[in-house]
Amino acid sequence: MEKSAENKIIQDLLPQEFGKQGKIWVIGLLAICALGAFAYGRQLYYGLEVTGLRDYVSWGIYISNFVFFVAISLVGSLITAVLRLTNVHWSTPLTRIAEIIAVSAITFASLIIIVDMGRPERFYNLFLHGRLQSPIIWDVIVITTYFFISLLLLYFPLLPDLKIMIAFKERNGKWLQKLYEFLGSFWKNKPEQFKITDKAINILSISIIPVAFAIHTVTSWLFATTYRPGWDSTNFGAYFISGAFLVGSGGVLIAMYIFRTHYKLEKYITNDHFDRMGKVVVLLALLYLYFNVNEFLVPAFKMKKSEEEHLLGLFTGEFAPVFWFAIFTAMIIPIGILLFKKGRRPKAAFVAGILVVVGSWFKRYLIVTPTLLHPFLPMHDVPANYKHYFPSWEEWAIAGGSLAGALLVITFFARIFPIIPIHETIIETESNENK
Amino acid sequence: MKTNNILRLFFILMVVLPELLLAQAVEKNALSLSLKYFNDNNVTHHLLVQAKSKIDGKFQKIAHIPVQFYITNDTEKKNLIGSGVTNEKGEYVVVIPAAAKEEWLKSPNQNFVVVGEATPKFDEGRAELPITKAKLKIDTVEGKIVTAKLMALVDTTWTAISAVDVVVGVKRLGGILNANETLTYSTDSSGTVKAEFKRDSIPGDVKGNIILVASVIDNDAYGNLSAELTAPWGAKTIYTTNFDHRSLFARRGHSPIWLELLAYGIVAAVWAIIIYLLFQIRNIKKLGLE
Repeated sequence: MEKSAENKIIQDLLPQEFGKQGKIWVIGLLAICALGAFAYGRQLYYGLEVTGLRDYVSWGIYISNFVFFVAISLVGSLITAVLRLTNVHWSTPLTRIAEIIAVSAITFASLIIIVDMGRPERFYNLFLHGRLQSPIIWDVIVITTYFFISLLLLYFPLLPDLKIMIAFKERNGKWLQKLYEFLGSFWKNKPEQFKITDKAINILSISIIPVAFAIHTVTSWLFATTYRPGWDSTNFGAYFISGAFLVGSGGVLIAMYIFRTHYKLEKYITNDHFDRMGKVVVLLALLYLYFNVNEFLVPAFKMKKSEEEHLLGLFTGEFAPVFWFAIFTAMIIPIGILLFKKGRRPKAAFVAGILVVVGSWFKRYLIVTPTLLHPFLPMHDVPANYKHYFPSWEEWAIAGGSLAGALLVITFFARIFPIIPIHETIIETESNENK
Repeated sequence: MKTNNILRLFFILMVVLPELLLAQAVEKNALSLSLKYFNDNNVTHHLLVQAKSKIDGKFQKIAHIPVQFYITNDTEKKNLIGSGVTNEKGEYVVVIPAAAKEEWLKSPNQNFVVVGEATPKFDEGRAELPITKAKLKIDTVEGKIVTAKLMALVDTTWTAISAVDVVVGVKRLGGILNANETLTYSTDSSGTVKAEFKRDSIPGDVKGNIILVASVIDNDAYGNLSAELTAPWGAKTIYTTNFDHRSLFARRGHSPIWLELLAYGIVAAVWAIIIYLLFQIRNIKKLGLE
């Protein structure tokens, strides 16, 4: 490969400073985070009373948000591990996008759990007194493990890129240069180093798959091990994992489009990538739809008395607008768009990605809340607001703040590190030229 | 002068008149007291009062009524044997004190009086209870038969009493469980009842002890008498607890061994990989610095 072509790739893929739009985006996200922090301050001061959470709905949008974050984080294992191990090379430019989505999402999944606690200063008791028999402890263990594996999977492929970036001392500025040197000054492009890195990435790719499956299966068991209408299901693990892959892939579609247009990466994130990723999303949406049919049609066919109120609430009752909105926006409309070649063009795929992510967020809300409002024993002698749930402004602000926080992590990461792996792109281009 | 008259009129209208009207409006309810006598195992004696009143067409228990108990019909201070205030169930119990022994020994019959004080809502109440002193003895005979003998004090002699209902059974969960198919027996001419014990499998304590009970309940002449006797006729119960056993439902640190091995094994395996990879970073660093 010619040096000029290599330099062109490096110049194209080096992280760029925020432009005017970027600054507005960051300020906007910071403002949402600040509002969330203020709302959380109020929650700490006044207690969970400021939320809409009561005796029956004790898990509201905080836990919906937690499930959403855990779900979206699974995309790291899909794009990086599953596609890598199956020798699918077209996904190379998307690996880092997927990994940083995974790391930021899993970080905020952990934080939102603490937000849901009425007494967060007692969080350490989970570690001191947690029971090994409880799925909550399994979740704590598996989330921590997944976070570290994702972080390593982000770091190992970054090492050759760090050496490239260290060379641009003037452009980097003092702090970034120090950071790059701290993280990768020892990388000398030695074959032995590549050998170790390749081996490490392979080990990580293999080990992240069961951990990723575990993380979301265990999250589903938080619900499925509880005997309640809507949660009492053996289908939940697979149902959650298929939904997680779908929302994660939808998130990647959105990120691909934003990075492509904002950083002018059309040459690297091509129409072909959107086409292929679109097909992946269709497959995953159909899979998730299949599990949804299982999850709702089978109990609806039997219509056991205890399930009846919950199911009718979803199909035709109080939650019907949200339920059908989620089914259509997360699955049916995106399938309709992405099934056609025109629908897999960047802009259309971007819209489909947004629909998938928004619909999926509401889907998580529907998994958590309606069941809590339908206990086996009738609600007697309770205040009227115990029988319904609508999040307070504090909950919306905190949930919004956590989503903005996750986006902020991705944004800053893309500002500091190349969002498309430079070294791997050079190698792939070289091997394509040699073919 | 004119102003003074207006002030007087205002005072009458605002303070005196409402008081008078209110005083007329409050109508007190009649207080009904019922007094019961209990002889516990021929050792202690106590009295129970129940305060009730008919409100809205039905009798309701009345709490917070001050009550005084007297031995004899005379409510003089020297005869006071106890006082108190009725509880939420409208009841109050007083144990007959040793100080009343002299009065108690005077006659084979005894009268008691309880007086409920008038309160702003209730009139004063009073109830009297005459009893004949009696005692109930419980025993066992061979063949696992429970016997109970009722005797009353006639003049100065304890005399067997016939044709009185006696409940015989086993003390269980605060109640009396019948010893066989029958719970209540009538005393014969010797004042005795006999009940065959047919509950061999009933759980007792570690030695198989159970408590046999004979009881006369709400008798018009003798009140409430009860006698208890411990007998080793039950099944021996060895108390076992599974509190410390390992199970999926046990407390922390008591999870099943298989779960601990499985869970910690998986965690150790995955974290061993992570630690191995961290060492690989160190190796990469070493190679770079060579």
